[in-house]
This record gives sequence, C-alpha cells and structure tokens, in this order.
Amino acid sequence: MELIANADAATLSPVALFLQADWVVKAVMLGLLAASIWTWAIIWSFIRRLGRVRRETERFESDYRKAADIDAFHKAEAESALPVARVFAAGVAEWRRSTAGRVVDREGTRERLATAMGAAAAAEIDSLSDRLNVLATVGSVAPFVGLFGTVWGIMRSFTAIASQNNSSLAVVAPGIAEALFATAIGLFAAIPAVIAYNRFSHSINRVEARLNRFADGFHATLSRQLDSDR
Amino acid sequence: MERAEKVGLGVAAAGHVLLFGLLSVGFLATPNPLKLESKPIDISLVDEVALESASPATTEAPAPSEAPDTGPPEDSAPVPAEAPPEPVPAPPPPAPTPPRPVPPKPEPPRPAPPKPAPKAAPAPAKPAPKAAPKTPAKAAPKAAPKAAPAPASKAPPSKRRSSLAPPNVTPERAGSNAASKSNRPRGSLLGDDFRKSLATSADRGTGQTARTVKVSATAVAGLGDAIARQVQPCANRIPNPGPGANRIRSKLRIRMDPDGSLAARPVLTGQSGVDEENRRYAQRVGELAAAAVIQCAPYKLPAELYKGGWEDIIINYRLPG
Repeated sequence: MELIANADAATLSPVALFLQADWVVKAVMLGLLAASIWTWAIIWSFIRRLGRVRRETERFESDYRKAADIDAFHKAEAESALPVARVFAAGVAEWRRSTAGRVVDREGTRERLATAMGAAAAAEIDSLSDRLNVLATVGSVAPFVGLFGTVWGIMRSFTAIASQNNSSLAVVAPGIAEALFATAIGLFAAIPAVIAYNRFSHSINRVEARLNRFADGFHATLSRQLDSDR
Repeated sequence: MERAEKVGLGVAAAGHVLLFGLLSVGFLATPNPLKLESKPIDISLVDEVALESASPATTEAPAPSEAPDTGPPEDSAPVPAEAPPEPVPAPPPPAPTPPRPVPPKPEPPRPAPPKPAPKAAPAPAKPAPKAAPKTPAKAAPKAAPKAAPAPASKAPPSKRRSSLAPPNVTPERAGSNAASKSNRPRGSLLGDDFRKSLATSADRGTGQTARTVKVSATAVAGLGDAIARQVQPCANRIPNPGPGANRIRSKLRIRMDPDGSLAARPVLTGQSGVDEENRRYAQRVGELAAAAVIQCAPYKLPAELYKGGWEDIIINYRLPG
C-alpha cells in the first residue's frame, strides 16, 4: 500500500486519488464506498433468499396438491419458515380456532380465514422486502452525494489555482481528477443499486402474487369444507 | 441482520477490496498521458526571397573542415588575407578533438603524433584515403584539427613511414588517423577530406570569393524569379502565337557570363502544358521564349551567386497573356 500511496499523480489508482483528496471528499468517498458494499451485501442476500423461496414454494405447492390429509401435511410443514407455509399455517390455525366451538359461524369463519391468510401473506412480503428501501435510497441518493464531493473538490482546486496564480493543467488536473473520482464512486454504488431494486421489487411482486393465489386457493378449499361439514 | 446478510456483507466487502486492489495495481491503468505531450518545434524566420540570405550560409559550412589543412605552412599566407572568418571557426575544434582520436587508436599510431613530417606527408596522404575510403570520413576531420595547432618537427618522417607503413594500410581507422597527422604540417589542401570539398578548395586556391559548391535551391528559385522578372518587358512585346500558348511552360537552359550577358544561345530543354489545342505552336513558343531572353540580355543578378548559380541555370518560363 505504501508504494501505491506514493504513486505519481498521473495514475488513476483509486488509493492515490483517495489519499490526495480533501477530508470532505474523503468522507464522501468513504460513505459511498460503504454504501456500495452494503448494496452488494443486500444484493447477495436477496439473490440467495428469493431463489430459495421460489424453489421451495414450488416444492411446497406440489406437495400440497398431492397431500391427502391436510392435518398431516400441516404437521409435516409446521416447522417451515417458508412464506407460503406460514400463510398455510395461519389458515389452518384460524380454521381450527373457528371450528373448535359447537356452533360454527360459516360466514364469519370465511371472513376470518381470508383476513388471517391475507395478513400472513402481507407480513411475509414485508419481511421479504425489508432491505429493498436501502437499495432505493442508495440508488437515488448516491449520485448526488458523489456530485457533492465533486463540486467540493473542484471548488478546492479552483482556490488552489487562485492561490498559486497558475492556471496550468498540471495544477488543476489532480484536484479535478480526485473530485471526479467521488462522482465515479457515487455512480459505482448507484447503478447496481437501481438495477437490483427494480429486479428485486419485480421478483417480490411475483412472490406476493403467488402467495395470494395460494391463499385464495386454500381459502376456497376450507370454504368448501365448511359447507360440507354442515 | 440475519445470517444471509452477514455472508453477503462479507462477500461484497471482499469483492470491493479485490476490485480496488486491481485498480490500484494498474490492471485497468490508462496509457501514460505524458506520451501525448507535443514536442516544441523550432521555428526560424528567414527572408522571403533567398537571393542574398542563402549564400552566406552555404559558404560557412565548408570553412571549418578546411581550416586545419590550409593552416600554418606555405599556403597559409593568402588564406587569412582573403577569408578573415576562417581563423575564427578554426580554433575551437582543436580543444575538444584531441581526446577523441586517442581512444580508438591502437598502440602503433600513438608514437606518430610527435614525429610527423612535411615531406613525408604527401605520400601517406594519398594512400590513406584510398585504403580507408568511406569509414574514416568522420574520423579524419576530427583528427586533422589536432594536427593544425601544433606545427611539428620535421625530423624522422622517413623512418616512421617506413616502419609504420604496413599498419597504416591494414587497420583502416588507425591508418587514416596516422596519415592525417603525418601530413598536417605541410598544409596541403589534399587532406583526408579533400573529396568532400573539392570545388571549395579549388576556389580557395584561385582566390575566388564565391566558395559555395552549389547555390541553395531557394537561391536558385529566387534567381529564376529574378530572370523571369527581367525577361518580362521583352516577353510582353512578343505577339501571342495562338490560343492556349500561355499554358505552355518552356524550360530554357541559359548560360551566362559573370557580367550578366548570355554566354550562349538559350537552349530549349523541355516543355510542359502542351495539349491538343496548342500543340501546333509549341515549338514556336519555345523559340519566342528564347528570343525574349536574348532580347533582354544583360541581366542584373547577384554576383556572389554566379558560380554554381546563374552561371548555368534552367528557368521555367511561360509567355504572358
């Protein structure tokens, strides 16, 4: 690192550019770098989580369609943390609570089942899309933060010109280069964040639609059961 | 933060460190901008017409290489009188040169410098250039100046020559060096570089002022313009032989005497611009051009450019109109 730090100003080494910069620009760069790391961490975890959810949901739904006994199936899947399993568990729990009494209010039970499963689905979607707001924030704000660092750095290099009474490119260039580096990092953080935000909100919408479809189907099954129990 | 996010954070941090490390090492380095710098260009301002200006430049060049040859002895008397600038360029060369001939030389030539003689000189001078035809061209002029400032004793030339004659011939470098040293006191014009400036040395010998072998191209162009200007009044009186005649450019070889009059009738050496329309009177145009040159005969041209300049000049002439 020492060697790189001593590199001449003409190189485009990020470390050299960082070390030459003003402390404000340095703070901006560090913040943007942290934002970039955090963005990629979120992207990584989202890819893993959404992929797993999609695969397991398919497996769960095919198992559910094949299952002969819903009580046994519920017992088998009781421990699952899958969103669709949670929705299913919420429906089963509400069914049991509503049909435990001697008198069963069919309309009330149907309403409660729909509400319970809808709430469970919404909660699952909420927890799934937890970090999505970070991506949105980084994507929209990082370029401006980088631009702030650039403006600040260019202001500094202009004052350097004024104080040296020398406007040659050699005086101006390093300051402007290091200032523009702030914008570069801002874009570096923002572009993946924006892409990932759009991609993941689309994926989560699909997951939500799938959950709702499952909830509707299960609600229809339970509703039929209510009618036949009469 | 759950586990997946911790793993993601680690992966992202590692990726960033890797990327910035690569950037720092220069994996994606841009080409060095210093290569794009433009070098400053030397600009020298010269006169527009080169009639006077080009000549002195050409005379100065040969002078330094010749000075040592004509230096101290018998021939020296006339030279300084007629060419005062020569002594000036001559002294500087001796100072830097002495060390140069020494290192490349093998042992045999070493003893030579103190002993060389004027009488022996002419003999070795001739074999040397022949033995070392082209390569010593550079070494010789450097060695020569050294000889000049030290007019040496005349003592053992014959002995030295007889003993050293074989080595002189075989190693080209050494031979030429030794030869140039041996012939220095005589001040002969027949130096090692006599081929380089044959015309110049001849001029000097006859005491002429113009020393240039050849007048520069710009000067010749200026002479051509000057002649064309002076021919113009006569050419204006010539009737136009036909349409398109003024597209023909005739090359006239003109030979003149130093006083500006023609030494011979101008010779038509070629024509350009001849096409279907004016082919019929191309010959006539050439004759008319020659006639115009003859009519305006005594030309006023710079005398210092006579030799090699307008003594025998080819001009490209076009009839007016």
